[in-house]
Amino acid sequence: MTEEGTATEENPVLYVVRPMATAAKQFAKSLVRPSTVIYPFERLEDPAFREEVAVASGKPIGVGAIWDNYRGVHALNIATCISCNLCAFSCPDLCIEMVTVPGGDPKHPKKCPEIDYGKCSYCGFCSDACPEGCLTMTTRYELATAKRSEMVYSPEKLYEVFRTKLPMNPIRLERPENEDQILLDPPLCIGCNACARDCPTACITMLDVAKPEAKAGEKLPKRIWKEPVVNDSDCVRCGTCISVCPKECLFWGKRP
Amino acid sequence: MWINMGPQHPMTHGLWNLRVRIDGELILDVDPEMGYLHRGIEKISEDRHYNEVITLMDRCCYVAGMAWEHLYILGAEQALAIRPPERAEYLRVLCDEFQRLGSHLMWYAAFVQDLGLMSPFLYGMRDRDLVLDLFQSYTGARMTYEYMRVGGVRNDLPPGFTERARKVLDWLVDRFREYDALCLGSTIFRKRCDDLGVLRANEAVALGVTGPMLRAAGMKRDLRKDRPYAAYDRLEFDVAVADAADVTARYLVRMEEMRQSVRILHQVLDWLDRNPGPVLADRLPRWLGAPYAPVGDEGYLLKRHYPKGLGFSSVEEPHGEAQAYVVNEGGQHPYRVKFRSPVFANISAAKSYLIGYRVADIPPIMGSVDVCVGEVDR
Ligand code: SF4
Ligand code: SF4
Ligand code: SF4
Repeated sequence: MTEEGTATEENPVLYVVRPMATAAKQFAKSLVRPSTVIYPFERLEDPAFREEVAVASGKPIGVGAIWDNYRGVHALNIATCISCNLCAFSCPDLCIEMVTVPGGDPKHPKKCPEIDYGKCSYCGFCSDACPEGCLTMTTRYELATAKRSEMVYSPEKLYEVFRTKLPMNPIRLERPENEDQILLDPPLCIGCNACARDCPTACITMLDVAKPEAKAGEKLPKRIWKEPVVNDSDCVRCGTCISVCPKECLFWGKRP
Repeated sequence: MWINMGPQHPMTHGLWNLRVRIDGELILDVDPEMGYLHRGIEKISEDRHYNEVITLMDRCCYVAGMAWEHLYILGAEQALAIRPPERAEYLRVLCDEFQRLGSHLMWYAAFVQDLGLMSPFLYGMRDRDLVLDLFQSYTGARMTYEYMRVGGVRNDLPPGFTERARKVLDWLVDRFREYDALCLGSTIFRKRCDDLGVLRANEAVALGVTGPMLRAAGMKRDLRKDRPYAAYDRLEFDVAVADAADVTARYLVRMEEMRQSVRILHQVLDWLDRNPGPVLADRLPRWLGAPYAPVGDEGYLLKRHYPKGLGFSSVEEPHGEAQAYVVNEGGQHPYRVKFRSPVFANISAAKSYLIGYRVADIPPIMGSVDVCVGEVDR
């Protein structure tokens, strides 16, 4: 424990003067370079703040800058979005709604995220989950509007943010190399094609399976004799196939 | 006469109410009332995926978010039987110790303001800002970090971070000297704080008081040493203790803890420079939820017989000993999460360290307790 500067009984004037001397030193330093930023004129995302200039007050400036990995307003590249729903699934505040945008075919409408910034907590889970890297977060943080409805950013509005070419969050979550895959429980499958129809990356193919011979007195299950096969390198692990499967025969696991 | 100090009172630092029975200036009885900030975090956690609960932990204690993230993550990892890589453990210690600096600086600012000192308040806030800036430069946010994940942490440090961090640490060590000159060097401060709010060790233990308040009573208890978690068993540091059990002793303990944090951080930064590696466990189950997609419904997972488990973790948070209990019943969500807040116990013991003092002594005494109502009410 430090004994530095421990007080002793002395002239009461010194009670006041000694701490004040320390404060006066700080005050003099702050005249040269204050610790605050004069906001609309100086902005923390300015590159000048990233340079670690040694300043008179000794405060290591350059620490306070807004770096590219700041979690601000999202930017969406509509062109590369595959409508996989992962962003909406992983939002803890349920502020993402998938809305239809032009560009899809009638059977598979193209859906992109619409974000309600009235609810968003800027946690970044959505951009972490996006397998295509088309939903990222930018350094933009000024969101004041006069109307509450303007807090809802449609995909087009998010695309405009993308086009402003603000610095994008460079952090990409590394996919674990050894991650779980989609596996099938063959006896349960009825070959309905739901998974292959809804897979956003079209990585499921329905392959024929041999129809077994019915033994005497046994009835074969009523089904289509096809089974899904997943192309593992294209699969983005969105789980859509699992949630659309009517028989719960797909599951996460590791092929032995 | 009973008077209400709170819920809106400069002394409370947050929404809580201290009812005080006084006779003239003398305090005869006190009755702390909490619950104004209850947000039902434990209940909300029951329908969030394991990773999504992390967003709640930052809001649980708004001055020590990282420590609470760490607490929950340790419990969840135990319940799910996942082990983080070693680098992630060091990164978590880095977060914890920076958070301790940030929290103690915030405490310093609030405490000296309670004593009526405005300049040190501004110094404390200014220096805490550097810590927040560092957090922002690698997590992306100043207070709601969402940095830890079940099985590791979200991302590695950006290039140049360790040099910036060392600069900040060097700068802070200089400032601690200044704080001592301003507070310990001021006879007015000593006359105001010595022998005030005394809470002796035996009483503190009986009342469940932990953290700097317990160590200021001479009890050498620190979970980082006594029940090491993350990488603390591989790091060198001392436990700060003082004997006087009064307000000054708590000041001394926290100042010393900040110096020890700087010592730990230097070791951690050196280790991180030398040992690159993965920061997230390489085999994580998909059903963990964000950033991985949740799949199917609860019934689906239960049918698939995912492993069950219990997790209990305790962490030396800046305010004291926090504990978490996580029950995993095999679903996507924790079945039950329970937290123990150290500040709740510390405030609840108010009767034993306030009675007998004067009304004007309440702000310094409660200031030295370091109240964060977010975690008290959850
Ligand atoms: S940042 Fe978080 S809260 Fe905001 S939209 Fe993305 S997932 Fe939802
Ligand atoms: S996660 Fe990405 S690719 Fe998938 S729907 Fe959202 S923005 Fe599109
Ligand atoms: S998880 Fe299923 S639906 Fe999603 S990409 Fe993979 S195979 Fe297709």
